[in-house]
Amino acid sequence: MIKKTQIFQAGDHKMKLKELAGRLNWELKTRNVPIEAEVKTGYASDLLSDVLANSIEGDLWVTRQTHLNIVAIAVMRDLSGILISSGAEPDPDTLEKAGEKMVPIFRTTLPTFEVVGRLYQLGITGER
Amino acid sequence: MLELSMHILDIAQNSLAAGSTRVEIRIQEDLPADFLVIEVRDNGRGISGAMLPKVTDPFVTSRTTREVGLGLPLLKEAAERCEGCVEVRSEEGRGTTVVARFRLDHFDRAPLGDMGETMGILISANPDVDFLYEHRVDQRIYIMETREMRQVLGSIGLDDPSVLDFVRQDIRMGLKKIGAATFPKIMEVLR
Repeated sequence: MIKKTQIFQAGDHKMKLKELAGRLNWELKTRNVPIEAEVKTGYASDLLSDVLANSIEGDLWVTRQTHLNIVAIAVMRDLSGILISSGAEPDPDTLEKAGEKMVPIFRTTLPTFEVVGRLYQLGITGER
Repeated sequence: MLELSMHILDIAQNSLAAGSTRVEIRIQEDLPADFLVIEVRDNGRGISGAMLPKVTDPFVTSRTTREVGLGLPLLKEAAERCEGCVEVRSEEGRGTTVVARFRLDHFDRAPLGDMGETMGILISANPDVDFLYEHRVDQRIYIMETREMRQVLGSIGLDDPSVLDFVRQDIRMGLKKIGAATFPKIMEVLR
């Protein structure tokens, strides 16, 4: 059962990646990568060129893609982290590079639609 | 689809649904020219001239084209998304050839995926069909030909679990050896 969460009021408080991961029960896949960054906005897409064009600095990126290039996109756009949805597992190369480039990667068994809805309830918006 | 190997599986299954006894899958990576070409050629019953222009239209799903499904429209979209294209040539009674071209290092080019798994699925469900899988990276080449394997195996079927395991592993290692581009190299932009 999903507990009803209070709808976020703008300016309430910011959530750190660490808190989001704890509240939404994500698995942290990277090691020794800080997860203290505060997250205000997010972007969801599986098309890398779309993320490159439309994500903004600090976004948490929700995607079903797992290959190495997601790290490159996160670095290029200065994203706060990557959340892999639908229980997909990141490739070993991806995790290695993420560790090197300090990009936190999380994993959730929920599909993108569901996890984005929960993020929105916690105050993470897609505002551009 | 997230991986090229899934597209290939889909297209090859069209070939099998069209009664092919031989399916040839060729992938060519041309690094200097920055393109990747996938070719699936079969000797199945082919597609009629009237039907041919419509096979990449996702809304063409009449009974007569049931074997085509969504495979070709999705492949076309995947190829065009990375500055490529799809061409379908066919002759009724002779067979069909699907050629998909991708820009190798385009950001949205899907990763190759697990060709070992794709070939394993195709062979295990169709042990009597001849499959060829050829993968070229510039001058380097990997070839798997089930006809040759059948001669070596004698009475053991290609659908024997240990044979299928061998096929999957051989493909994975073979592709690694020739340096197959599993996904576009965006990372180099960072350096």
